[in-house]
Amino acid sequence: MTILRAIEVRKFFGAFCALDGVSLVIGEGEHVSIIGPNGAGKTTLVNVLTGLLRPSAGTVSFKGHDMDRLDPLRLSRLGMARSFQLVNIFPQLSVRETIAVAAISSLGMGGRAFAPLRNNRSVWEIVERVAGLFGLAGKLNQPARSLSQGDKKLLDVASAFALNPEIILLDEPTSGVSTAEKTTIMQVLVRAAKETGIKAIIQVEHDMDIVFGYSSRIIAVHNGKILADGTPEMIRARKDVMATVVGRP
Amino acid sequence: MSVASLNASLPATSRHGARLVYVVPLVGALIIAAFPYMAGPHYAILMFSAMGFAIALMGLNLLFGFTGLLSFGHAMFLAVGAYTAAYLTSAKMMTLEVILLTAAVAAVVVAVPIGLLCIRYVKIYFSMLTLAFSMLLYSFLFKFYPITGGDEGLRIRLPAPLLIDLSKLDTVTILTGPMYFYVFGMLVVLTFLMWRLTHSAFGLGLRAIRENEQKAQYLGVNVQRYRLLAFIIAGAYGALGGVIVAIPVGLAEPSLAYWVQSGNLVFMLLLGGYTNFFGPVLGAIVFIFFQDQLMSYTEYWRLTFGVLLAVVVIFFPNGLMGVVDLRRVWST
Amino acid sequence: MKLELPVATFVPILIASGLLLAVVLGPIIERLLRFIYHRDEHFQLLLTFALVLVFEDLIRIFWGASPLQTNNIYFAFGELRLAHNLAIPNYNLIVIGIALAISLGVGWFLQATRFGKIVRATAENAAMCEALCIDLSKVYVAVFTLGVALGTVGGALVVPATAASLDMGVELIVDAFAVVIIGGLGSMPGALVGALVVGLIRAAAIWLYPEFEMLAIYVIVIAVLILRPRGLLGKSA
Repeated sequence: MTILRAIEVRKFFGAFCALDGVSLVIGEGEHVSIIGPNGAGKTTLVNVLTGLLRPSAGTVSFKGHDMDRLDPLRLSRLGMARSFQLVNIFPQLSVRETIAVAAISSLGMGGRAFAPLRNNRSVWEIVERVAGLFGLAGKLNQPARSLSQGDKKLLDVASAFALNPEIILLDEPTSGVSTAEKTTIMQVLVRAAKETGIKAIIQVEHDMDIVFGYSSRIIAVHNGKILADGTPEMIRARKDVMATVVGRP
Repeated sequence: MSVASLNASLPATSRHGARLVYVVPLVGALIIAAFPYMAGPHYAILMFSAMGFAIALMGLNLLFGFTGLLSFGHAMFLAVGAYTAAYLTSAKMMTLEVILLTAAVAAVVVAVPIGLLCIRYVKIYFSMLTLAFSMLLYSFLFKFYPITGGDEGLRIRLPAPLLIDLSKLDTVTILTGPMYFYVFGMLVVLTFLMWRLTHSAFGLGLRAIRENEQKAQYLGVNVQRYRLLAFIIAGAYGALGGVIVAIPVGLAEPSLAYWVQSGNLVFMLLLGGYTNFFGPVLGAIVFIFFQDQLMSYTEYWRLTFGVLLAVVVIFFPNGLMGVVDLRRVWST
Repeated sequence: MKLELPVATFVPILIASGLLLAVVLGPIIERLLRFIYHRDEHFQLLLTFALVLVFEDLIRIFWGASPLQTNNIYFAFGELRLAHNLAIPNYNLIVIGIALAISLGVGWFLQATRFGKIVRATAENAAMCEALCIDLSKVYVAVFTLGVALGTVGGALVVPATAASLDMGVELIVDAFAVVIIGGLGSMPGALVGALVVGLIRAAAIWLYPEFEMLAIYVIVIAVLILRPRGLLGKSA
């Protein structure tokens, strides 16, 4: 079942062409890594796929809905979540409260204006479960800005997971994190995805070990175009891709 | 979750500090309730006004402390409340409950279009826009003498609370007696409502918007709707406060919507502390009494306030409650 | 004591007094604001509001609360007779000329001079400038003082045409904001267009419907906000 579809997407920033005719289809059960050298257009692609940017040409649709008429809010309601490359947190809210915001949205309880949040057990159950999944259970009361860089990243991803989305896009979830922690984060991600029933993961990634270790499909982007799109074996066999992206044959 | 601090969920660094945060509001409430018996009529009426300002300020803090929108035109709602009271009492509608309800409705009617326009902007632009709207109301009230009484204003006659006939008593006795406790009751009820509102899912959503608007959207918070609701509720509180503030004066005048009045409200909020739920109430009381004393000593009260505000902004941004709530003193 | 000064010195004296005041006040106020640069923008608004209160009372102390006029200057330059019943005081033309010269000057300064480029760079990315060994505090003081000077000189020049009153400042804040909204945020040409629009509407309102003078500007601002939120020449959000 197709979840996300892009058809001939082009994106210009002034005269600069960031995306030049990108088409892709993402379906259920896929763990897709988007790779490519810096400036290839990976983040632009993710931003267009998540409704942050409007394509200059072409269409993007999510679950059959034309993205042109969707904004981040409605996308989250439809079941799309994303994390950000640069740490994106609520500085003064605690870990608990950050995840709670997402949990409230997933339960549709945002309209509750007079019931004390403290008493809402279903929200706190989700918070504890997600925090546990991501290893943040001991830090629930800490304000987000006091967390380490790696934990901030985890919190960003964790809050996206707490939305109970169908599809999640992660923009370099392991960047800025030590090599040892990278594997931990990926294992956490995969396990969390399984436990929360996420249908597809799209990940912009630079670390090739992670890309080849975890993806079911790799999309290589270069100069705003899709260079290759296939299974890890297919990509590994493509000398041109390996040379451009990885830098070695 | 901790109780009185806006940014809840912090462990108490010391039990002493945590307890103070509970104790101050409780003691404060007792003092306010007992005030007419403790102090003379002049000061009791002053406290009456302060309670009105406290109500208006709670609305302002919903916008600023919780949602991160600093309205520099909140005084327009004071004017809405006062003029509603003036029109109704001069039309012989003297039931206080009707006046309060009408004032709140009028505030909502005013707040919806203004809010829709202003909340698209943030930070300084929002502040300046709300300032502009408040000044628009001011110039309207000032110019249109036939409707608004111009700079002379409109008289407000003393309304009757709970349909009780108070005509046998004189104004001062009413204001320091039955009316005073009625308003105190209003303050308690409205404070309770605001408490529930800010500690609900809606309140958390507002704070998320304040912290990071974009991320809040991505986590499913309808930013524009939440902001508009906060603006409307703030406006209603402002109008209710405006009715109370105008009653002892007995006059609704354009200066209620003047930018200096809005500035005073913001000053009160900062003085009391905008990071604490009870800051607005404390700020209103301290400001009103301080202003009263200051004005009897010098006519250059603006200078004093300006310097005081500058000191608070630079050195004590979390205000008086910030000093009490020791956990939050150095974080801004 | 009356100083019998030649008419030609009037305008330079106005400008010089504005500049002198700016050079004295600018650095002091900037130093005060420096305390709160790192904080939320709102505090700048509050601190400048505090300064407005302080200045208002200082003015009261020195000059009293009533508006002061200098009409003699306004009419000292004669007038330009356009038609039978239509004459423009030459003073207005002089001020327009000076305003054009100043805006061209500031524009040239920002575009062509080295310091102007540093100013624009600092606005874009202050940290980068610091890394390039630019003394940010000097930049801030200079830019702030320049801004203050534009205000003081502008205030000095407008006094002969109207009067020096205590609420000049606030009215101007609202006007300035109307200019920015109408012209468009982030656009210098937009500010020029916005200023022309606001000025012309003001003048038209005074002539046609004096009652509506103040309201007219607000109405236009609201109309722009509804119909074209980014202003006439503004960059889209």
